[in-house]
Amino acid sequence: MRGFLLRRTAQSLVTLWLASVLVFAGARALPGDPAIALSGEGNDPAVNAQIRAKYGLDDPVPVQYARWSALVLQGDFGRSTRSGLLVAQIVVARLPITLELALLAMLFATAIGIPAGVLSAVRRGGRLDAVANLFSLSGLSIPHFWLGLVLILVVATTYRLLPASGFVPLAEDPVENLRRMILPSFVLGTGLAAVLMRQTRSAMLESLSSDYVRTARAKGLSELQVVAGHALRNSLITVVTVVGLETGALISGSVITESIFLVPGFGRLIVEAVGTRDYPIIQAVALASAAGYVALNLAVDITYSVLNPKIRVAGGTQ
Amino acid sequence: MISSSERPARPLSRFARRFARRWLALAGAATTIVVVLVAVFAPLIAPYEPGAIDFSSILRAPGTTGHILGTDDLGRDVLSRVIWGARASMQAGVFSTLLAVAIAVPIGLVAGYYRGWLDSAIGRATDTLLAFPYLIVAVGLAVILGASLTNATIAIGLVQIPKLVRVTRGEVLSLREEAFVAGAVADGASDRFILFRHILPNVTNTLIVQATILIPYAIIAESSLSFLGLGVQPPTPSWGVMLTAAQPYLDRSPWLALVPGLAVSLTTLSFNVFGDGLRDAIDPRGAR
Repeated sequence: MRGFLLRRTAQSLVTLWLASVLVFAGARALPGDPAIALSGEGNDPAVNAQIRAKYGLDDPVPVQYARWSALVLQGDFGRSTRSGLLVAQIVVARLPITLELALLAMLFATAIGIPAGVLSAVRRGGRLDAVANLFSLSGLSIPHFWLGLVLILVVATTYRLLPASGFVPLAEDPVENLRRMILPSFVLGTGLAAVLMRQTRSAMLESLSSDYVRTARAKGLSELQVVAGHALRNSLITVVTVVGLETGALISGSVITESIFLVPGFGRLIVEAVGTRDYPIIQAVALASAAGYVALNLAVDITYSVLNPKIRVAGGTQ
Repeated sequence: MISSSERPARPLSRFARRFARRWLALAGAATTIVVVLVAVFAPLIAPYEPGAIDFSSILRAPGTTGHILGTDDLGRDVLSRVIWGARASMQAGVFSTLLAVAIAVPIGLVAGYYRGWLDSAIGRATDTLLAFPYLIVAVGLAVILGASLTNATIAIGLVQIPKLVRVTRGEVLSLREEAFVAGAVADGASDRFILFRHILPNVTNTLIVQATILIPYAIIAESSLSFLGLGVQPPTPSWGVMLTAAQPYLDRSPWLALVPGLAVSLTTLSFNVFGDGLRDAIDPRGAR
């Protein structure tokens, strides 16, 4: 177990280090010379050279990377080229909003996806199964931005049930905050609900045909006890893994969802930063989401290995 | 009369019969073909030039004579623009997937076949790339390359590589343990021969199914990038561009958003349904 933990953690650290190299290289590949951007309108070659010297832009790339990563490890991503505020502060202010959105989306997704997956597995081949299947395919096919626009049109503009867009901080007015988060988190959760439904269904089908379920049936347990107590419980391990792996998709989805519903979260920050070519923010956002993903997957793998000792021998879920 | 049980059916016709039994998959395949044809023959089908501005008929509702799906804020025919938009979507969907396959499959083959340090290195690299949310990478690449349909297509293709490498590698890992590979090794066949003549043909089914998953994914990604202003540039019609342009008119002229959105959803849905049917028909054991 200890060997597995060490190996898996080391793997994560290597991944994270490679990710930081990639982010650093990516930022350097973005168009535009930072010296020219900093020197402003004058664009005097002498001033540019001075700036290059001051920020060490003429140093060898590995030296620049070492300096940058030392700062990043201390949480210093520099200042936004647009607003001049500390990047770390901006990210810390925006992140909780997207976390709330993602949590609510996961709530929607599990509330819809898992029961639907269980039902269609139990009623395999029936009409309910077909309907659930079509719904999950639709959930995978309908783009977030369109579903968002349609919901705004129907729920907000036509029936005025919920506000169309905008954001109220949770601390300021929790009820209004939730009212405004319902539509975006539902939209964000649809894709995950579809994935969850499919995974739950196939995991359930596998458990339902296994020996321990046959034994449970033979013992004379009720169908509900067999399905909920035995089959579902064992299927949930797979489902938990899927939720972990889909976090990246949730962050990608938040980029679009937050743009439509004007939620000032992490995803919206990315679009803004790209629009204004705010490279320090782009770097921080990319690295933060990669770190989150790596950490979450590590957590999932460790949980998994505690639940299922076979994994430790095989060396990871992947 | 010879009954089918007396004569062993060819794999292809058996596959076709299994596929034809699923009406939903058939409907998906039919719609997919229609969309592809529309994209290819857009100049012949579209009733108007997609960019033809007509200020005398702005924001006409669907059903107006001459404009079945209405007109937009510049008086352009929505139907013609949706038809032309299919081109952008298909181009992004098909070419990005081809790009991903062309790069990812050789890498996956090598990683799965040779294993060892090369496999570990490739594994770490794919892990790293997968750690970034795909849309963030696509957005970054689109910014680096510059906003255009071609560059969005390249960006989407590159983003899909790590996943495809993993799928190919996994498939090769199990194939190389098969008896026919051991036989070929015993025969003294070269690695290249084994990889391309024995393993690659057996990976093809999986790759075709993967393509039907990746293409709709890429179509959504293209319209997302265009929606964010990083893909197709207006006035060139694309479903994502049309949706962005429709946002200010959502309450007055909702069809401007409904039509291109329906087009994206229907296209991706038919690809997904088609792909599901393919998967079940190719591997009936997986059909559950």
